[in-house]
Amino acid sequence: MRADPTLATGQRAMPTVQRAMLAGATFLLVMVTTSALGTLIEGSGWWWLCAFIAACLVSVGLGLRALRTPPALVPLLQVGALILLLTLVFGGRSSFALIVPTGETFARFAELFAGAERTIQQQSVPAISVPPLLFALAVGVGAIVIVADALVQDARRPALAAIPVLVPIFIPGFLIEDGAEVIVLLFAGAAFLLLLRLDVRVRRRADLAHRDDDEDAPVVHAPRRVPIGSTIGATLGVGVAGLVAAAVLTASTPSISQSLLLGSDQSTTLFSRGVSPFIDLGRDLRRPDAVPAFTYTARDGDRPYFTLLTLDRFEGEVWGVTDRAVDSENTVDRMPRPIGLDPAVETAEHPVEVTVGDLRTVWLPVPYPTASVEDLRGSWFWDRESLTVRSVDASTAGQRYVANRLVATPTADQLRDADLLGSGQFQEYRALPDERPQIIRDTALAIAGGAQTPYDAAVAIQDHLRSSDFSYSVDAPVEEGYDGGGFDVIANFLEVKSGYCVHFASTMAVLAREVGIPSRISIGYTAGSPTDERVENVTVVEVDSHDLHAWPELFFPGVGWVPFEPTPGRGTVPSYTRPDAAQSPLSPFGPSTSTPQTGRPDLDPERGLSAGPGASAPDPVAAWTRVAALVIAALAIALAPALIRIGQRWSRRRRVRHGPGRAQAAWDEVRATARDLSAGGLETETPRAFAAHIAERPAFDGDAGAFLAELRNAVERERYGPPAPSGAAAGGEAGLSTDEILRAMHEVRAALGADAGASARLRARFLPASLIGRARGRARPTPAGA
Amino acid sequence: MKRPRARRAAALPRLTRRGIALVVVGLVLLVVTLWFDLRDVMLLAFIGIALPLVAMLYVASGTPRFHVLRAFAPPVVSAGGATGVTLTVQNLGKRAFDGASWRDTAPEGLTTPAEAVLPALGAREHLLPQGDDTARLEYRMRTSRRGAFDVGPLRVTTTDPFGLARVTRDVGGPHELIVTPTVTALDPVIGTAAAVDGVMHGLQRRTHPNSDEFIAREYRHGDPLRRVHWPATARRGELMVRDEEQRGDPEARLILDTTLSGRRDRGALRIGDDPRHAGFELAVEVAASVGVHLLERGFRLRGDRLDDPARGPLSDASPDGYRMPGGDRALLEDLARLESPVGTRRHASGDVALPHSGGTDARMPGYAVLVDPDLAEAQHLVALRPSLAPAVAFVVSSVSSKVIDVLEEADWRIVPVRRASDLPDAWARAGAVKAGDEPPRVRTARGAAHAR
Repeated sequence: MRADPTLATGQRAMPTVQRAMLAGATFLLVMVTTSALGTLIEGSGWWWLCAFIAACLVSVGLGLRALRTPPALVPLLQVGALILLLTLVFGGRSSFALIVPTGETFARFAELFAGAERTIQQQSVPAISVPPLLFALAVGVGAIVIVADALVQDARRPALAAIPVLVPIFIPGFLIEDGAEVIVLLFAGAAFLLLLRLDVRVRRRADLAHRDDDEDAPVVHAPRRVPIGSTIGATLGVGVAGLVAAAVLTASTPSISQSLLLGSDQSTTLFSRGVSPFIDLGRDLRRPDAVPAFTYTARDGDRPYFTLLTLDRFEGEVWGVTDRAVDSENTVDRMPRPIGLDPAVETAEHPVEVTVGDLRTVWLPVPYPTASVEDLRGSWFWDRESLTVRSVDASTAGQRYVANRLVATPTADQLRDADLLGSGQFQEYRALPDERPQIIRDTALAIAGGAQTPYDAAVAIQDHLRSSDFSYSVDAPVEEGYDGGGFDVIANFLEVKSGYCVHFASTMAVLAREVGIPSRISIGYTAGSPTDERVENVTVVEVDSHDLHAWPELFFPGVGWVPFEPTPGRGTVPSYTRPDAAQSPLSPFGPSTSTPQTGRPDLDPERGLSAGPGASAPDPVAAWTRVAALVIAALAIALAPALIRIGQRWSRRRRVRHGPGRAQAAWDEVRATARDLSAGGLETETPRAFAAHIAERPAFDGDAGAFLAELRNAVERERYGPPAPSGAAAGGEAGLSTDEILRAMHEVRAALGADAGASARLRARFLPASLIGRARGRARPTPAGA
Repeated sequence: MKRPRARRAAALPRLTRRGIALVVVGLVLLVVTLWFDLRDVMLLAFIGIALPLVAMLYVASGTPRFHVLRAFAPPVVSAGGATGVTLTVQNLGKRAFDGASWRDTAPEGLTTPAEAVLPALGAREHLLPQGDDTARLEYRMRTSRRGAFDVGPLRVTTTDPFGLARVTRDVGGPHELIVTPTVTALDPVIGTAAAVDGVMHGLQRRTHPNSDEFIAREYRHGDPLRRVHWPATARRGELMVRDEEQRGDPEARLILDTTLSGRRDRGALRIGDDPRHAGFELAVEVAASVGVHLLERGFRLRGDRLDDPARGPLSDASPDGYRMPGGDRALLEDLARLESPVGTRRHASGDVALPHSGGTDARMPGYAVLVDPDLAEAQHLVALRPSLAPAVAFVVSSVSSKVIDVLEEADWRIVPVRRASDLPDAWARAGAVKAGDEPPRVRTARGAAHAR
């Protein structure tokens, strides 16, 4: 026990200055490690918020300890301070006097917490620091600071402070390939070393300044002038050598591919690494139940298509979304003009008021193009290319918003007159894998080979697909075994000529790319069906899951992305795609052509389209794992006191075996057992008083009483007798051997237990009362390490 | 048995608990990072592993050099007492020294404080020494038994700046501390009072022929008439006596059984794990108490070993016996240094070389302290008996009854002593013995001495 003397003086009171040094080092360590999250989160505001929270908590801890608050209370009070701080930052108007939380504040916290969960699932890297994410960061950093502070200041085990601060360091490694930045890690190591160094220094200072009451204690007269830099060289040398050695070792360690160990399962739910929505609409189509998605009122009588998301990348087997990070600048209060739309073209804004019901996705149904969206809850951002709107922390459920639809009025002639694209432009929208079925080339050549302009080619393709050769069927593709949107599927579809919107849309998009027109697929809702209901004299239009749809969009320079409708019997054919109506205004989904839809496929918005992998229907296995994890967590919490108590007993047994204070350790255990069983055992009682007290119990009539007396004598001898000569066997000439002590301890405990009722025993096992007084009983100096 | 191993192990650098914790965390991290292929955190894992190892290398390298002085105040302490220890540690190295703690080592029976911080020491100051390279460490050392102990060496534990590894080294050499036997105060009235005035060397008196010039003092009740100083009485008109006790040079003899040659194994009473012979320790204490008492009463004391009373002084350091001033300390020191007897006999049991019976001008008081003598040694005492008056033998419980019989036969007074606290009683009994049985004999002896 004395082997580690420089570290053996944990419980001595420290001057506030030295505490402040330790607190500063703790703060530094936490903030350096927190900055490892910098690769995941945009901007730096979140870091300053965390620093503010951490600094406040550290100062609170410092102040409380300067006031000699009992160490067990400090973390609790720090938690209270954290709540006040969170109220100050996040409480908004719900708080009382800025920092005092009210019930409303806690409701808001719960909301933020739920939002944080969503945003962590939904955001891709780098994430935008929306309020829920900030909230989660603040809570996390607060918790880390409180734990680290307690470890450094009260437990005096600063080395263990490394464990909580590892949390922010680990997170990047799981989410992005490179993990945390090396420089941040090195700084974190250095900050940790600084903390260790300061702790050693503070301990030595405290030990030197300490004057023991014991007259035998040594008195040290230090030199008057201590060389200040006496250890700077050594500190730097050891620290740098350690860091360099670690870096060299890291660089030279071969990487064990994780696929060897774990397979290639890389699915992550935290900050999912980009979205690859494999839109398997086929499965959804066979669901019979239609679910209302949303309703809208359009003052100007618009009946637009609502775009959820746009698939622009075709990889031969699957259409996907190019993974573009969400840009925090792109807030929905002002959205740009769509790409390609000539600035000269006149536009107008038509507000569409949307009320979302049960639809729950991260993509907002908005018409394309939209100039701005108002009244949204949560943080929503638009994508530059597709002008789709997605959220990082909220979902569409229950939203009411106004989408200001941008209405452009070019004509079909403009489309026909549109410039040809240069070969380098929009390359990614024209890209097709080289290996594609011959039938696709052939079909494209046959349909559009004679077209004068891209526009004519596009119209020809649409007309071909809408011809009577093709039929709409939800079930045929599955029966024929070509569901999906890949090349093989398209080739099959071109032969069988039966499918649903996904097939028509992807086929048209591929054929358009084949003839050199940039194309993409939008997924969303058709215009829906008007209801009898009217709000402010405007018809309410209801959109339900049957209106789910996919359609191709083609790009024409000067006009931008233009929707087409190749699916027969679905949606409305834009007027501009009919050359005979070339003069009609370009209003693809204009009110004039809005008719109640027939033959709508049974689509379920809850599947496939909802939110990519993160929001797929609950997998029963995953659900069970979650339940099991919850049960385990609950069990762990419930059993924690019992486990701590068992650990305590185990360590006391160890003390009985190895000393020092063998009899005392056994006695402590007996007294703790008595306390657990509510049979006395106050700290203030002398061994004799305590023994007399419990010896009155009936179970102590026989042997147990004798064992009790034996143990009591042993502990009295140890406490008040002459110190056993070092190296002597336990107990000396008249004491008990280790086995006897253990035996006596066991017998006395058994007698105590036998005497108590079953409920008392149960309580003693699972809610041991002796643990409560422990934190206060730490006054006697116990050797500390680590 | 234990110490050499401990010393060897101490010289190797070892990890502190903090270092071990760091290595364990590092290893766990390493496994985790390899498992999940987190190359970034692997750096931290290796920091956790490598840093304690670097720290071990650091503490193992660069042996510090110190000059250690150890002073005791008081330098001689009686068993059960405490002495202040002052250590002066000077750094002889060219670099400042920091990050260490110290602990003094001492044999069993002496207490040393728990490990404490050794303050930072500056580099050695060759020019203009200001003492910044020197620290002074003080503590109180408690003693429990007599003996001459080697206190030290100083054990310095060096820790690296981060408290991850440490190495323990012994610096400086040991210094000797004398712990004298406990002296029990004995009643000055009893025991020696009768013997004081009679036992003097006539020769001594003759070297001071002009005793007339001694300062006379007035007669007090109880002064022997033969000490009346007649010229002074005549001058003063009242009875005056020579005040010459101080000038007298009475001698006493203290014989201590140091060989325990009787029944070796029987006397080996051990208390706890104390390796010493309990009876012998008691005897040393008795000898110390009696010896100091006699010295304080003005006797010159001759200390002898029982196995060779004529030529075997207690200590080679003081072959001529002890006398005040300073004799008590010398006696106590010699007694402190007495080794516990190992039981080897010095000479054959049958060959009793009867010592020279002293000859002599006078009988002197003789005190023998016996632990476990054999019959041959008893014969020494018997042979000495004529020159001793009174002759008192303090015997501890391990003395065989045969020896006691032989001694009683020879008219030795046997006073059993069972424990140190009995000593005043035993002393009183020794005095009572003389007061009761001996007076005629003493008077005769006195008379003989006076006749010279």
